Amino acid sequence: MKNIVIGRYVPGNSFLYRMDPRTKLIALIALMVAAFLIQSFTHMLVSLALVTLLLVAGRISVKRVYLGLRPLMFLLFFTFIFQVMFNQEGDEIFTLPLHYSLLSIVAAAAVVVFWFMTKKHVRFKLFYFLFTVAAVFAVLHYIDFGVLFGEGTFRVFEEGLSTAFFIMVRLIIIIMLSTILTITTKPTDLNLGLERVLKPLRIVRINTEEIAMIISIALRYIPTLLDEANKIMLAQASRGVDFQEGKLKDKVVQIISLLVPMFIISFQRSDDLANAMEARSFVPGQPRTRLHVLTWKRLDTFALTLSLVALVAVIVVRVV
Amino acid sequence: MAIKFERVGYEYKDIDGKGYLALADVTLNINKTGEFITLIGETGSGKSTLAQHMNALLTPTEGRVHIFGMKISRETRKSKNLKLNPIRQKVGLVFQFPEYQLFEETVENDIAFGPKNFGVSEAEAKERAKKMLNIVGLDDSYLSRSPFNLSGGEKKRVSIAGILAMEPDILVLDEPTSGLDPLGRNALLEVFYDIHQKLDKTVVIITHDMNTVYEYAKRVLVMREGNLVYDGNPTQLFSRKNVKSWNLDVPDILKLRRALEEKFSITLEGETRSKAQLMAKIKEALR
Amino acid sequence: MSLIEIENVSFTYHGNKKALDDVSLSIEKGEWVSILGHNGSGKSTLSKLIVGLLKPQQGVIRVGGITLSADTVRDIRKKVGIVFQNPDNQFVGVTVRDDIAFGLENLQIEREEMIERIEHYAKKVDMYSYLNKEPHNLSGGQKQRVAIAGILAMKTDVIIFDEATAMLDPEGRERVMEYMRALNREGTTIITITHDMKEAVLSDRIVVLKDGRVLKSDKSENILKDKATLEKSNLELLLPLEIMHYLNENGIENPSLKEFLWQLSLNG
Repeated sequence: MKNIVIGRYVPGNSFLYRMDPRTKLIALIALMVAAFLIQSFTHMLVSLALVTLLLVAGRISVKRVYLGLRPLMFLLFFTFIFQVMFNQEGDEIFTLPLHYSLLSIVAAAAVVVFWFMTKKHVRFKLFYFLFTVAAVFAVLHYIDFGVLFGEGTFRVFEEGLSTAFFIMVRLIIIIMLSTILTITTKPTDLNLGLERVLKPLRIVRINTEEIAMIISIALRYIPTLLDEANKIMLAQASRGVDFQEGKLKDKVVQIISLLVPMFIISFQRSDDLANAMEARSFVPGQPRTRLHVLTWKRLDTFALTLSLVALVAVIVVRVV
Repeated sequence: MAIKFERVGYEYKDIDGKGYLALADVTLNINKTGEFITLIGETGSGKSTLAQHMNALLTPTEGRVHIFGMKISRETRKSKNLKLNPIRQKVGLVFQFPEYQLFEETVENDIAFGPKNFGVSEAEAKERAKKMLNIVGLDDSYLSRSPFNLSGGEKKRVSIAGILAMEPDILVLDEPTSGLDPLGRNALLEVFYDIHQKLDKTVVIITHDMNTVYEYAKRVLVMREGNLVYDGNPTQLFSRKNVKSWNLDVPDILKLRRALEEKFSITLEGETRSKAQLMAKIKEALR
Repeated sequence: MSLIEIENVSFTYHGNKKALDDVSLSIEKGEWVSILGHNGSGKSTLSKLIVGLLKPQQGVIRVGGITLSADTVRDIRKKVGIVFQNPDNQFVGVTVRDDIAFGLENLQIEREEMIERIEHYAKKVDMYSYLNKEPHNLSGGQKQRVAIAGILAMKTDVIIFDEATAMLDPEGRERVMEYMRALNREGTTIITITHDMKEAVLSDRIVVLKDGRVLKSDKSENILKDKATLEKSNLELLLPLEIMHYLNENGIENPSLKEFLWQLSLNG
């Protein structure tokens, strides 16, 4: 659980760090909207290249962003494969005859079993997985002897491929942009920025300061709660709760044995915290002065203009 | 030998892959019966990490731990056939805060939860719940109560009963008396001593309280920056010259005895590990 | 007029027996009072009542002449700060700096002044070099020191330590006690809620609670020796004083030894 990279601030020094959190938040939203509006293949690739350039120029390690992407990789590839396999609109661009025979099915199953047994020892799991998928298709395609059960065809359609591509690149861009935001912005600044950006919502009577306070406390307590969850798990494991095994009925009890202590401790914590805050003169909704102030720099005007221009450009391209 | 540490190291990794050594080169043996051990050291010295190796909650990153004949190391953990549950039944570990484990509706069910996980029948588990509750000093009326409506001391007792009901050979307790008032602390220590004596179990207690160490322990382990720096009896520990540099307090009894001997020139003969002994020796010396 | 006046206060948690039963006591400016009692004696309830986190069902509490009520509770909290037991559950800020700032922001202190106070009080509890650290990088003792700095920065007249050392290791406890001593010397009124005699011995006066009632309130030196009272409320005598009692019971007369034991217990 300590490997969660998304949402973590990493100290550093570059123009991205010097930027006002408000700029970064608004720019993030503008660029994300832009990414959703782009419909041309080349524009999409150019955007991806630009975001990568931003990463490099901002001296953020690409590896770190990749680490942030990794937990979502399977999700990304799943959507990709799902789209490729089931979206059957547009022209057919690829056809692969498949033969289902006793031999080919057993061979394909053998490939999957082999993958399952060996995946632990392979470093590039994702590539290995893709390789396995390709191997299954190859087996089904080339082994055309033995008792045949039937024939089939694996087809890829143009629409499916392009939708899959767009969904994936959009998601990657969004994740990269938000990772840039969280890596370069201290939680306190991010929170303050959010509060200011949301300020217009006060018109519709939403207390943005309270929202900011809630977010700030959540940020403060997430590491503590993760640590606590880990300890509860160890304490229950000491009582013979085996999280790897057990029937469904046992699983339910196992989960309850984690959730109940978690809730009880969290309630106790929030009760204590509410007391501590109140004792230090906190009154919800009352005006407070702030230690942190945000300073708007020329860099911010420039960055904000640039990202808004990008958004407008995308809209213009799409409409025209 | 019930638990055997062989050159055990344990490294935590933070997000940037930076390592932090919580245990370094620890070699240690713990017997199945007859031991009453206290494990001491500053906060962050690796006490809890060491304890969590005793029932294989953690796997050493260096060296190996043998627990009742089962070898726990980086290599053995990779094999899927390694069943850790039998170890957890034999070495019962009680965490510092009872809130980490209490979750059932009644005290009885909560104590019975552990044994049932190890395949003990419902009836037998309830039988044990009742027995262990009495051992930790609570009467039968507690069986049907909710574990959440108990005082801090009572919750602690129930959580200990929950581990005892698994009938472990070795009982490991992480700071079991912290936050209790003096009476609650002494009563609980007597319970541990009884468990050690009457049930003939090895008891390991992590503590910051040097009075507990001095009055109860047969053997003391001192951790410092991940290293096991002392393994021996308490009397010798506190007479060592470098004990100050380990940031350990001197037990009250010893402090008083030393003050009397040095500043009041009353010489006491022999050991004074308990209050009663100390009083008797002072009386003797004054005659 | 005393700084804090508690008159005939009673409090019952919903559906339980009385947590506090007709408690009266007063605390002078600059005084250091220990509220001593076993777990569940009502001592923490008392501290929550003084800062208005709970409302007495009977009786009156006055701080600096102001009677505690829903309208005055904010004024009273400007005079009385409290450090709680669990270091993790009172750390509001994302960093040490933010946490010390929290109370100041609530009091609407100007930013310049805030920065000055944060630095000053962080230095005072030796946490200056930790200002940018996050709580999960700090030990329990360090978190408690931050909590103390947070209260000090609010410049309250009274600080209540509600079992603030109970969850700390010996070193953390020792340091927090050092700050208590220093603060009291500088004139801060201190109330420590504890069952630790080594903490109580530092105070000017000890109030012993048992089952929600004041069993005894007297100068510390009188309570420290009062075996009957302490035993009645499940507390222990300090070891040298226990020895002294033993000598008395056994009819051993040795005034110089007794004086020596007495001095020993006062100096820890």
